[in-house]
Amino acid sequence: MTSIGQIVQAVRSYRKFVTEQVKRARQDTGFGRQVLERWNEAKSKVGTAVTATGLKLPKLALPELDEPGEIARYLGEEGLPGDFPFLAAAYPAQYLESGSGNGSPNRNGEKQGGEEPTRLFAGLGLAEDTNERFHYLSRNQRNKRLSTAFDGPTLYGVGAGADGVFGKIGEGGVAIDTVDDMERLYAGFDLDQPDVSVSMTISGPAPIILAMYIAAAKRRFGALAVPKLRGTIQADVLKEVQAQNELIFPIEPSLRFLGDMVDYCAREMPRFYPISISGYHIAEAGATPVQQGAYTLSNGFAYVEYFRDRGMDVNVFGPRLSFFLDCGLDVEYLALARVCRKIWAIGMRDVFGADKRAQILKLHTQTSGRSLIAADWKNNLTRTAIELMLACMNATNSCHSNSADEPFTTPSEEYARYAAHAQAILLEESGLFKHMMNTLPGSPGMRLVGEAVEEAILDEFEAIEEQGGVIGAVERRYQRSQIQASGYKLERQIYDGERPVIGLNRYADKERKWPDLEMIRTPASKQQHQLDRLRDFETRNAVDSERCLDSLTRVVESGGNVFEELVHTVEHCSLGQITEHLCQVVGKFRPMI
Amino acid sequence: MYPPSDTDMDPIRILTAVPICDGHDSAINTINLELIQQGVEVIYLGYHRSARDVVRAAIQEDVRGIGISTYNGGHVEFFAEVIDLLRKYQVGRNMKIFGGGGGTITHADAETMCRNGVDRIFFAGTPLEEMAQYVHTSIGQAVPSPLNEGERGGDRFLARQLSLIEAGREPSCPESGPARIIGITGPGGAGKTTLIDELVLRFLQTRPKEKRVAILSHDPSIVGSGALLGDRATMIYSQNDRVFMRSIATRGQAGGLSPATTACLRLLAGSGQFEVVFVETVGTGQEALPFGLSHQVAERTILVMPPDYGSRLQLQKIAMLDAADLIVVNKSDLRGARTALAEIEARIRTNRRRQTLLNTQANRHRDPGVNQLFELLFPE
Repeated sequence: MTSIGQIVQAVRSYRKFVTEQVKRARQDTGFGRQVLERWNEAKSKVGTAVTATGLKLPKLALPELDEPGEIARYLGEEGLPGDFPFLAAAYPAQYLESGSGNGSPNRNGEKQGGEEPTRLFAGLGLAEDTNERFHYLSRNQRNKRLSTAFDGPTLYGVGAGADGVFGKIGEGGVAIDTVDDMERLYAGFDLDQPDVSVSMTISGPAPIILAMYIAAAKRRFGALAVPKLRGTIQADVLKEVQAQNELIFPIEPSLRFLGDMVDYCAREMPRFYPISISGYHIAEAGATPVQQGAYTLSNGFAYVEYFRDRGMDVNVFGPRLSFFLDCGLDVEYLALARVCRKIWAIGMRDVFGADKRAQILKLHTQTSGRSLIAADWKNNLTRTAIELMLACMNATNSCHSNSADEPFTTPSEEYARYAAHAQAILLEESGLFKHMMNTLPGSPGMRLVGEAVEEAILDEFEAIEEQGGVIGAVERRYQRSQIQASGYKLERQIYDGERPVIGLNRYADKERKWPDLEMIRTPASKQQHQLDRLRDFETRNAVDSERCLDSLTRVVESGGNVFEELVHTVEHCSLGQITEHLCQVVGKFRPMI
Repeated sequence: MYPPSDTDMDPIRILTAVPICDGHDSAINTINLELIQQGVEVIYLGYHRSARDVVRAAIQEDVRGIGISTYNGGHVEFFAEVIDLLRKYQVGRNMKIFGGGGGTITHADAETMCRNGVDRIFFAGTPLEEMAQYVHTSIGQAVPSPLNEGERGGDRFLARQLSLIEAGREPSCPESGPARIIGITGPGGAGKTTLIDELVLRFLQTRPKEKRVAILSHDPSIVGSGALLGDRATMIYSQNDRVFMRSIATRGQAGGLSPATTACLRLLAGSGQFEVVFVETVGTGQEALPFGLSHQVAERTILVMPPDYGSRLQLQKIAMLDAADLIVVNKSDLRGARTALAEIEARIRTNRRRQTLLNTQANRHRDPGVNQLFELLFPE
């Protein structure tokens, strides 16, 4: 049995355990008293918030329970925020406004509620353009949480000079070819300070890109800055194979390079999350919410199993794992992230023996890009607002809301601002989350949806287990074919009108209006500029690059830590040179259809 | 010089692809499925493909149209590059180029693209039926552009001849030639396509630059219906000018090959262009003998097997174990590979003929097993 099968068993045992606890709390008076005491203690610790209108509210809403059995059920199933199984929330306090007595804004972490959950996503043109956008977006933010999108050539590790990619330079994301570009990208941000964190949405060449980031930070702030770097890089190899198709090397070497990177980060960069296990692209490729949850979690467990088998300590790397989920409009999203937190916690604790810090699923959510529609596109503001609310009801630790104009273009400044403001309106302006952290979650409806979702995820786990676990299922195209089938079904439902999409198949305006938007495109002159400076870099480093690539080959072939070597390689080699070279050593990823 | 080739009865063949540095295949997967259900034979080139790969495939497959799905920007340039290359190879305007990219292609972009020679851009919200209708009418009724005399013997000429054969016409071609034909068969999922691609890589690395290789690859379909011809999409090394690849649907014939296979192979082998022709069958069942018992179709036959074929009893029923010259147990990293090797060895020993048994892991870079197979097929 692989770990996936063991996790199914562990979740079922946990349910049995809760049922037994309920029974025991009712039958065993001593135990019942303990449960009551714990409950009363928890209630007494809840602080009070005062609203702007003068209303006094507890910061955490706990149900009126006085019967030990029901209390045991609540504690076992829903749990207190920050307590196993973390269904309610990863941390004891989230979203609460600092002014209402939740402690001062804390520079050190999300868990204290001091940091805005808003990530500022940008990626366009050349490094300087994205840098400018980062400065614009973050000008009024206490914390600079920069999230970076890369262009196609960078995502595929292809140099700007590669055959036929010229028109793609700087399109849909930022073009990064060298460590010099990386320096320009975050210029003016103090990467070694606790109020700056950087997220990079890239998987195939992630180790090379992160190596560039480290090298660039070292150049600017010295080697002592490395342990202070905060942020995350996606680096999710398995979801690339299943959905997003941006993989460069075959699965095995890809996993090895990832392991080397995670190993390095766990040792050297205690504030950095070196992998973001992503369901987002799985959902965007057409998966149902349950498929998204099941494949994302099982991919996560597959990584844990792989790292453990490499001899890495689950309690060292475990807390460095983070998750990234999509939030759309289907009803499952009412509880999907909550359920994922629970399954992760049970699996980590009971199958992998992880301690508390490694049991917590830390979550970044993005509203659904697929749900955004070109027809009557301003409706996308409403869609995103609802998704945002669902994400916060699931106590996501950070969130990105999409711009309404995304069906057409890289977000314009105007709609990127509205998207960021939507979060501020929900969390800061509205009273729904800032006074009481669970005003909305925990309703009977939410719990019922959660139970159904949980069972459906376990069913998917069993299907994966039958195929020899995650890697076995990947090789048999299981996840891919399931996702594709769901995607096809979804489109058919939209075309057939079975799935209402307002403005498209229902209440559609007869005259289809096309937006009068400013399209963000990278002019050919800039594309040429990127190409020129890449050529210049490669010429300047012609001698050193050869030496570095030889050295890299030796590390790959001798089984050393490739990531550590890459931090040096990137000083003299471009992204395109490194990927091309590594492909010769370890082969290329063979695409699946 | 050559009139329109196929009859109206035959399925339309089109090529679909996603451009370089773009992995958004969700839309194209949906569209491929819809077109197949509407009776179209879709040759799917996959994602992250260069304009050169697209044009090479379109020529070799002799398709009527090319559909490109793009979501990562740079579409104006990419489509223009495809059209430029088509012009360079004199494919002419009768090859219809169409595409879409949700909202990423603006109306202004589309106007530019159509001025450059794109036939049609579909915008977000277009019903699938509308696309299928377009393929049937606009592309289905398009007349393929004629060939010039100078192209005789070239890839376009060869490709058109193959279309004529598939349509049941008499091609004008030599009877038989010097190329060796190697037949590769085995159950679905055994790794035939990967193995061929890895053999091609070694061919390209070790054979002189002027030597070329051809691949005739089969996918199943029933009479009068569409098919997904997707082997190109998983090929990495075979996207090369030294490789001529043709995908072909079985169109109702059982056993792993198409009614046109023998004639197509005769044409390819006789063209004088290739040192070797690989023919890959569809995933076959236990009783299949796609190449017959003698060597009338292929000079050498290879059976590719996964180690998880089930019990030893199942082995008894696999007819190709008696007929194949070489038996390759692929995916040797899977559990049970050693047992499989031993069981198959015992099984073929009773045949009392010279059969070679090999062990490969084709999905591994520089796999020694594949090296060994290549050396057997291409001795120095």
